[in-house]
Amino acid sequence: MNKQFRSRTARGIAVASALALTLTACGRGDEGGGGGSRGGSASPGITDDSVTLGITTPLSGATAGPGTCTVAGVKAYFGAKNAEGGVEFGDGKTRTVEIEALDDAYDPQQAKANYDQLKDDVFAMTAGLGTPTNRAWREAAIADEVPQVLVMTGDPLFSDPEESPWQLGFVPIYQNEGEAMGELLASSTGEHKVAILSQNDDFGEGYVEGFKSAIEGSDNIEIVNELTYEATDTSVDAQITELASSGADVFFNAMSVTPLMISALQKAQQVNWTPSWFLPSNTSSPGAILEPGGAAAYPGIYSVAFSKTPAAPAFADNEDVQTYLAALKEHGDYPDPPAFPHCQWSWMVGATLEQAFAEMTEPTRENFMEALRSIEGFEAPLMLPDTSVSTGEDGQPAVSTVVVQKYNGKGYDTVETFE
Amino acid sequence: MASASSVSSAPASSAPSAPPFRQRPWVRWALPLLLLVVLVVAPLVLSEGVNETLARIGVFAVAVLGLNVVMGYTGQVSLGQIFFLGVGAYVTAYGVQNDWNIVGVFALACLIPAVAGLLVALAAARLGGLAIAMVTIALPIVGVPLAKRLSEFTGGSQGLSARFAETPEWTGLYDDQWQLYVVLVIGGLVFVLTRALVRGKYGRAFAIVRGNENVASSMGISPYRYKVLAFTIASLIGGVSGFLYMLVIQYTSPETMSFGHSIELLAAMVIGGAGSIVGSLLGGAYYVLIPELTNQVDPNLTSLLQGAILLVVLFLLPGGLASLPRALTRGRRRTRVGRGPAATPSTPSSTTGSATAEPAPTERQGHA
Amino acid sequence: MTLLELEGVTASYGPVQVLDGVSLSVPDNGAVGILGANGAGKTTTLRAISGTVKTGGRITFDGKDIRGLRPDQVAALGIAHVPEGRGTLGDLTVRENLRVGAYLRKDSKAIEQDIDYCLDLFPNLQERIRSNASALSGGEQQMLAVGRAIMSKPRLLLLDEASLGLAPSTAKNVYDAIRRLRVESGIAMVVVEQNANLAFTLVDSATVLEVGRNVLTGTSAELKGMDEIRRAYLGG
Ligand SMILES: Nc1ncnc2c1ncn2[C@@H]1O[C@H](COP(=O)(O)OP(=O)(O)O)[C@@H](O)[C@H]1O
Ligand SMILES: [Mg+2]
Repeated sequence: MNKQFRSRTARGIAVASALALTLTACGRGDEGGGGGSRGGSASPGITDDSVTLGITTPLSGATAGPGTCTVAGVKAYFGAKNAEGGVEFGDGKTRTVEIEALDDAYDPQQAKANYDQLKDDVFAMTAGLGTPTNRAWREAAIADEVPQVLVMTGDPLFSDPEESPWQLGFVPIYQNEGEAMGELLASSTGEHKVAILSQNDDFGEGYVEGFKSAIEGSDNIEIVNELTYEATDTSVDAQITELASSGADVFFNAMSVTPLMISALQKAQQVNWTPSWFLPSNTSSPGAILEPGGAAAYPGIYSVAFSKTPAAPAFADNEDVQTYLAALKEHGDYPDPPAFPHCQWSWMVGATLEQAFAEMTEPTRENFMEALRSIEGFEAPLMLPDTSVSTGEDGQPAVSTVVVQKYNGKGYDTVETFE
Repeated sequence: MASASSVSSAPASSAPSAPPFRQRPWVRWALPLLLLVVLVVAPLVLSEGVNETLARIGVFAVAVLGLNVVMGYTGQVSLGQIFFLGVGAYVTAYGVQNDWNIVGVFALACLIPAVAGLLVALAAARLGGLAIAMVTIALPIVGVPLAKRLSEFTGGSQGLSARFAETPEWTGLYDDQWQLYVVLVIGGLVFVLTRALVRGKYGRAFAIVRGNENVASSMGISPYRYKVLAFTIASLIGGVSGFLYMLVIQYTSPETMSFGHSIELLAAMVIGGAGSIVGSLLGGAYYVLIPELTNQVDPNLTSLLQGAILLVVLFLLPGGLASLPRALTRGRRRTRVGRGPAATPSTPSSTTGSATAEPAPTERQGHA
Repeated sequence: MTLLELEGVTASYGPVQVLDGVSLSVPDNGAVGILGANGAGKTTTLRAISGTVKTGGRITFDGKDIRGLRPDQVAALGIAHVPEGRGTLGDLTVRENLRVGAYLRKDSKAIEQDIDYCLDLFPNLQERIRSNASALSGGEQQMLAVGRAIMSKPRLLLLDEASLGLAPSTAKNVYDAIRRLRVESGIAMVVVEQNANLAFTLVDSATVLEVGRNVLTGTSAELKGMDEIRRAYLGG
């Protein structure tokens, strides 16, 4: 053993000990944290004049764009409410709503860390984006009896009250979207041959499952070919070429990768295949996907939606939209026009939470969950006609209704029939 | 240990007559003992949040330690460490879900990543140089889609949850306390064993391979074999960290092993101190605490702040945080020299440059 | 007695054969030089001996066939290679570098003595004992490389262009020390040099390589007298 070395070790140990002692000195204060709220008394994160909500969502990295939106919308919503004095609760008190948002960079581990950090300070967790990042602390939230509600994931697990008593998803699950498309097609009077391409994971499977369940038993619809691809593939040219040869006039493409969707739109034209397309809501952006893909060449591009798009000319003078855009700028730290629908969804989460708050008779998490689960047919601001928030349906997220829309060369119009 | 003794017996600058405080025999015993006591007591008195954070630090300190074995000590660039953490986590989750014996699960969580690492190393270590780095880059890049694909074992993109190591009734401990103890015991053991490894004959061979492969060959040390060995050990330690990850985080998904985390682990290793045991610990702390810190400052600027912190630390302490005491000593020594008479006269020719080359060797040099 | 014997040794890097039948004989305690122009195959010959290049032909050491052994196996037999470009471990100190040389040895007492011997042989190193090798001058690094090789207590030392890039006076210092080592320890040597004058101060005999073949072999005295040697390597 070397003297210098030993002295270095000693120094290291001394530093570590000192550090640990300092931490020790902080002591284990109250033991109540995380043990769940006990009968009657107020849960953490709520006082007579304020309530704090926590969000863990990606604010950096590849999904920072939509992630930032998930915070901005709800922050804007309650920012505007707070400016008016607060939100009225069912127990007669008016509270301001504070938002504590942390960045998890779409890392499940970080999401769990953020949850651990927030759970004792916030009344409920909400609005965060991402399936793995929400799954990472789902079980902990159940054990701690912390609400994890109106989160942005299409994973059906969050909408199963048996499995997830303290959870509720907000956005439609993949099946909902596929089903809505299938229903529209099934209601058509003509005969249709359908080609299906889907991502080989739960995203693609969910879409196809919903679509097939809706067209089941419809004699006028025939699936002529069905292929898959991997989310990591860099080209689907081979699949497009093969599907083109099937002679289908309808193409159901459950694809979540933006560049692949663009190249698929281009490739089909190259091989002179011009069917009508059904696209998932998150890969159907007019500006980012349809225009570069040359979608005008197709007889119809269909997708689904439940929220108004602020950019669409049809909503330019809409009062909802005006209020929303102003609040986003003033209270949501989001000065630019919203680039992702998650901003609108998050705004609706705010409105839905307010609905639940209004029904709460006790300042407890249990009572909040009850109140939240009793919302029926609530038409949140920015919602499209024929869609609503309903929280009482087992196995369904807060928003399970979507309307099918057709691309008009600039934006989308809601359609009732497939022609 | 033999080599360390040689360094100490170097004709050091005039030794003080009485051993300094830190080197008195009772201090040598008392300090590790004190540390042990603190480690035993701390989980009992710390708050739940602090315990959880410490446990997470333990998880990533072990992962960084593994990376250090192959990179810091053996000099082979590996960008795949997170893959082995991920494999360890998946093996653990799968075993727990199927109610396998937890000791067996732990053994498999070590073994399977180690074998995977061995196979990769057998192929990659032949290539040498940057080729190893390229092969290891492929690991997390292949790992993520593979985890999504093998959904029968991995739960696909929805991942796997597993709660295990339930706190035994008789302990009367809270979950966070029990978890931290398990992390301390397993992580502590890994640290002690790795320390012995890198201080011993193998560690010396690693250092020689890192320094110069031709020299290693001419010294009778097969660079290939030692690279494979280091890589395998690193993978095994990565597997252990994956087991601990499941213990603490209780959930794993393909995102667990995304490439970005491999880079973050690498940054943590460099920040902590490459080729340093204490540095691995500091690296783990960095990995866990910096996101928390930056989240406190401004959750919208986390990556920017993290980048800035990385640059600042590397600029001020190129040797990482573990070199801080040395940097301080050097600073002090310099001022002392500056003051004059008390200073040991240095060789006439020595400039500031050679004076700085003189202070206590870094930890890794100490046992090379 | 012959310690090392090369007969018709060939060597190739991939498909390119660069040695085409090299022969060499080093007696016990002897020192043999390998001379030749750049690219003649001198370094490759040493690599053939130490097992770091693919070889054919016959290489025996102490009567044992060592062709095809791994470098670490060759080293374990007592053959120490001081490679071209020195190859010191830059971020280890001088003392640590010396210890590295003794990696395969178990006699730790004698190791300390041998370190002292190295430092006596190369007093410059004594002054820099705690410096990182990377901070040494070229001459000091060369001394360190030789010192490290000695630390393995070899029976045969392979020296590759120990004078390369050194000032003439430094090169002379290095060779003086190696000559002293040879006299005091009796270690046999294969000395690769471009500077034939310097080589002749150390070796008893030498061979001249040209494109991977022996073209001339003789004692130092014989070779020094030859016109072509003088023209090609002795600057006259
Ligand atoms: N690693 C290598 N790969 C391929 N060719 C090499 C390698 N090393 C040397 N050579 C070639 O082998 C020949 C002999 O080189 P070498 O033995 O280094 O010559 P010398 O030491 O006499 O200058 C040269 O033509 C050189 O270009
Ligand atoms: Mg050469």
